[in-house]
Amino acid sequence: MYKSAIWTCLLLLAAMAANAGTIEMKVNGLVCAFCAQGIEKAFRKNPAVADVVVSLEDKLVAVQTKEGTDISDQELRATLTDAGYDTKSIERTDTPVAAIRERLKSPPK
Amino acid sequence: MKRFIQCAAVAALSLPFGVAAAKPIAFARGTTVMGEYGAGTMEELQVFYAPRYFYSVGGGHLALDSDIDGRSRDITYARFNYLVKRWNREDSQANVFAWGGVGRASLSETAGDETAWNAGMQLDYETRRIYTSLKTDLYEGSSFSNRVGTLQLGFAPYEHDYESISTWFVVQGRRITGGIHDGTEVAFMLRLFKGPVWVEAGATTDGKLQAMAMFNF
Repeated sequence: MYKSAIWTCLLLLAAMAANAGTIEMKVNGLVCAFCAQGIEKAFRKNPAVADVVVSLEDKLVAVQTKEGTDISDQELRATLTDAGYDTKSIERTDTPVAAIRERLKSPPK
Repeated sequence: MKRFIQCAAVAALSLPFGVAAAKPIAFARGTTVMGEYGAGTMEELQVFYAPRYFYSVGGGHLALDSDIDGRSRDITYARFNYLVKRWNREDSQANVFAWGGVGRASLSETAGDETAWNAGMQLDYETRRIYTSLKTDLYEGSSFSNRVGTLQLGFAPYEHDYESISTWFVVQGRRITGGIHDGTEVAFMLRLFKGPVWVEAGATTDGKLQAMAMFNF
């Protein structure tokens, strides 16, 4: 019983670590496709970035980092500022960007 | 129209070399190519590159053709565009742009070319449903002065997202001073954009074509 609880905890930690590379940023000023294009282009230039998704509806920029890499909050804010936009919040989640992309594609309930 | 097609061809040829802007600055490290056919009185081609989000450099060609007395101007210019102020809000963005440039103008009234100066300003505000912009653009030389003032009001029937086509209904009012056009040209247009491509077309109240295309990359 005790052993299985430890294994469960270890598996949970491993799963969280595997998905720890998603960063969700809420952005002010994100109102047009060209805005999104500029932001996406800026993040894709970062060698630590594996995938990017931008949603005007959710005012969201979500970035998946490559395994074993991270991007500091300071660098994330600098990238958005350099693209001409203001960062409202930064949150690290365990939701893969592919899942966010799918969620954005599905019609609102 | 023939001149506009020639300008568009030049733009197409220049694309592989990385030149191109409609807001005069699209995004950092972005290139914009914009071509406009304005109701037979104004044709313009612009190509800008933005090293940073707050400025861009490039050039353009403007042709003005009077529908009053047949006079025309062909102005080729280099220009510096600057984002004076931007307001980013949760559901909106507003900008103030200013620009200045210098070039050469060829006038129908005189045989030779002359130096032309350009200065302008744009104020805009947009949400995902409303777009407004007011632009004034002055071209001046020793023997001419023309100012192009353009007001646009746009309405989107639905809120677009990055990967969907954005549709806008736009009303434009334009005045061109200096003997080019009397009164205000009013045009109704349909604007579509998706990804890097923006196209709009419509007609003025007197039935003339008003169209614009822009590419950002």
